[in-house]
Amino acid sequence: MNRDEKGVKASYVLLILILLLWCAGPSVVRRFSREAFTEFQAPALELVGKSRDLARSWELRSRSTDELVEAGRDLGRINAALELRLATLRDVNEENARLRQILAYSPGPEYRTIVARVVLRENTSWWQRITIRKGRNDGVRPFSPVVFGRQVIGRVAQVHMETSEVDLITSPGFRCTAHLEGDENHNIVLLSGNAAGGIGRALVSNVPKTYGGPAGQAPRLTTTGIGGVYPSGLDLGTIEGSLRTTPKGEFQEGDVVPPRALNTIHEVSVLVPVYPSPGERLTESRIDDFR
Amino acid sequence: MRDKTGPEILPSTPVGRARLLILFWATGALLGYVLIGLGYRQLIQSGDLKLQSDSQSRRVVIVPPARGIIYERNGHELVVNRVRWSVKADLTELQGEFRKAYISLLRKNRAAGEKTDGDTLLERARMDVLQGWLDKVWFVIDASERRLSTRKANVNGPLQSHRERKVNVDELRRHLRERRALPFTLVTDLSFPDPSGREGAATPEDGNRSVARFIEQFPSDGPIRLESDIVRSYPNGGLAAHLLGYVKDTDSLPMTANIDEQMESLQKLRLTGKTGAAGVELSLESVLRGTSGWELWSKTSAGYNHELIRRVDPTQGGHVMLSIDRDIQRTAEASLARILGPDRTPLPAAAVMIEVRSGEILAMASQPSFDPNRLSIRVSSSYYEEIDAQGGWLNRATQGLYAPGSTFKIINAIAAMRKGVVQWDEVLDCGPSFRVGNRDFPEHTPEGYGPVDLEVMLAVSCNVWNYQVGLRTGVDAIAAEARRFGLDSQLLTSPSDSAEGSSFELPYPAGRGLVVPDQAYKRKIPGAGPWSPGDTANLSIGQGYLLTTPLHMACVAASLARGETRTVPTIFHDPRRDGRHAGSAPIGLSREQMAAIRSGMERCVEEGTARSVQIPGLPFAAKTGTSEYFKDGAKAHLAWIIGYAPASNPVVAFCVLVEGQDDGTWGGKTAGPVARDMLLRWAGKATSVDAPVQGQPGDAPR
Repeated sequence: MNRDEKGVKASYVLLILILLLWCAGPSVVRRFSREAFTEFQAPALELVGKSRDLARSWELRSRSTDELVEAGRDLGRINAALELRLATLRDVNEENARLRQILAYSPGPEYRTIVARVVLRENTSWWQRITIRKGRNDGVRPFSPVVFGRQVIGRVAQVHMETSEVDLITSPGFRCTAHLEGDENHNIVLLSGNAAGGIGRALVSNVPKTYGGPAGQAPRLTTTGIGGVYPSGLDLGTIEGSLRTTPKGEFQEGDVVPPRALNTIHEVSVLVPVYPSPGERLTESRIDDFR
Repeated sequence: MRDKTGPEILPSTPVGRARLLILFWATGALLGYVLIGLGYRQLIQSGDLKLQSDSQSRRVVIVPPARGIIYERNGHELVVNRVRWSVKADLTELQGEFRKAYISLLRKNRAAGEKTDGDTLLERARMDVLQGWLDKVWFVIDASERRLSTRKANVNGPLQSHRERKVNVDELRRHLRERRALPFTLVTDLSFPDPSGREGAATPEDGNRSVARFIEQFPSDGPIRLESDIVRSYPNGGLAAHLLGYVKDTDSLPMTANIDEQMESLQKLRLTGKTGAAGVELSLESVLRGTSGWELWSKTSAGYNHELIRRVDPTQGGHVMLSIDRDIQRTAEASLARILGPDRTPLPAAAVMIEVRSGEILAMASQPSFDPNRLSIRVSSSYYEEIDAQGGWLNRATQGLYAPGSTFKIINAIAAMRKGVVQWDEVLDCGPSFRVGNRDFPEHTPEGYGPVDLEVMLAVSCNVWNYQVGLRTGVDAIAAEARRFGLDSQLLTSPSDSAEGSSFELPYPAGRGLVVPDQAYKRKIPGAGPWSPGDTANLSIGQGYLLTTPLHMACVAASLARGETRTVPTIFHDPRRDGRHAGSAPIGLSREQMAAIRSGMERCVEEGTARSVQIPGLPFAAKTGTSEYFKDGAKAHLAWIIGYAPASNPVVAFCVLVEGQDDGTWGGKTAGPVARDMLLRWAGKATSVDAPVQGQPGDAPR
């Protein structure tokens, strides 16, 4: 047997040994290895993300002056509209403050916002999970809702030192309670990922049979705000097509189109709750307490 | 090359041919035996063996259906199926945890030198694991304000366990014995307020919040799951409880599709379904119940369900529309609840309102009542006994048997006029009492009424007029007239026989124990003696042996309103009903005679015994009654009022009965306000829905 053959055999033996060690080793070791790999990978992900931002920046710099002038003009219009809205909101804020003063009501901030860039989206499962460039070091915590404006994108599933993984609302692991537009009884319906209709859709279930929806338009879903994870009134998407009756005949269910094209998102906001939810605490103690 | 100097190979010992043959045939026989056995099992026994294998590795789970919905006449839901959220533990997934906990306990025991039975230890291990999960579940879902505030304060403290929430060891044992394949329920009915406060949510809002918190916060990939099923719900609480009834558990519901022969031999696990236990839920069981579906599961060696192989969905039961009007029913019950006895508790009572033309019952209330929501999941013995002690199980409108008192005077008068023993305008002298044999039968005013004709009699409810006329008519004619009006016939029978195995619209139809007495009846009573003129006098004012129900008297009022003898009441709504009533005939009085009766009933409201419940703008006709009875050995009074409205063009008829306890109970004063409230509610609806706006006083709504 020459040296090459010996080397091949040795590598196979080593691989089998590593696999055996991985399978037989304690869960702490496995977890440590996984975490170490993720942290080892993080700078590369950050580098890829920043390179993409740089490329985008250079692409924008190459635009013609006419395009920039036109964009500037559009921005000016948008600014003007936003100024008006800002003035209105200022009035609302003042009124709010006045009423709170009368009632001696001083609510603390419930959520802290962290803006994060999307650094990784796997092509084969873009509708399940994204990785964002903010992690434990930035204050991100598991269970935190992830939004874009008032639209729910998903929620933080795993947090690493520099990055976090987000379950999108079309992911099978996603669950959230919602209110339906036009439902006067404010029934709670369940929104979960991975509708039977196909990828990139969520599933709304437990819709009462009496619910008809607003006339002539697709019903919107909004968060209930009573589950302890999402603030109320955030947009969860719209029901696609008509609702179908469940086999037992008691409820309806239907496919939900997310509020935003999930494969084109580049930046999101993580709403980190000021107080950790009980679910978050259970997740933290998951390894030694749950399984 | 082989070394030729090696050891020499010697020939083997020669074997005899006979021995070889024996060996050959023995081997052949053995091989043949094996082959034949294999063939026998493969070709002949394969079916049986497959069945045996399947029966050991597969199981059929029978899934109960959702029951049909019960609506009232305007489409409002009276009985629905609501979703019940329960937190369940998948015992298959928890096997590893059970094993770990068992080993840990075993080690501890050995270290402590204790000797414990293995089964006991395993049970403790299971309990510990499940209790741990239950603590976590409550840590997440308990969303009461008190807990919220505590949690914010102790957010970084240790997990707070709810020691008041314990896994019940008996329930776990029963589950492992009977339903091992199914998830074990840790928390039942998360979203429904539990009046006892022991389980479930304190308020609907609390329940919703708990469900939402579990969905959003509890890990979805663990062994603990939130599962929903359908339970019976009565959104209006105790409204029309006697009519609607309630449901109870059953394991024997019909199947959607027959399980084929192969599955017939498999072990079957029936999930508990619901069957009607009373009221419409019971009488229309065959319509409401639906048909069960089934699931074919493979199972593990430990007996837990492993993989779903096939599924046939259950089919929901049919829906039913009752004739009840929710608003009128609610008004009737609320009004009855305001009639209090000396101890400030509501008096036993009943109220019925019927549509004159169709006979459809718009309201049927009985007091005291019960809340079917508290019976739909489990009938607790304490609640059962509580209702029993109050007499709440009895539907007084259809099952309560009472002497109709003065409301019967109408029938006495009709019998007399049909026999020709009194004229509609004949005036009789009515003093303070009337002697029959050696007994004075009293009037209800000490001075008497003097000259009284039919109209006045009905207005003031003169007894003496009825004694005289009743004696002239005779018991046989009065009894025959009462029977002609159906006072001895069962009501709420179902001619179309919609309920399987029953020909009644309610499980206990109105008609058991009715008595229309006559001479033959009294002869059958041991020691009662022959029928006497005193008995006739008693019968003529609706007392004595005569027994009827409030529903029967409401039907008498409806029949009078139409000028007929029978009204066939029904609890089902059908807009195509033609208004014909089986067995009904014209009353057989002249126009003047009928006019006198109607006028007398109108005067009863305008100036007579029901004047305290007049409704401005809605003239109606009524007859009150106050009869005596003995309750717990003491003399008490029954307060009655029957009638119809509007007086000129009757649309609805009514009857109210109250079981009074003292001398202050009178038909007009005690029962009248309930009738007035029902009529006002009906008139309000008739005005707002069907008729033009109510006009000046005197204009009746159409």
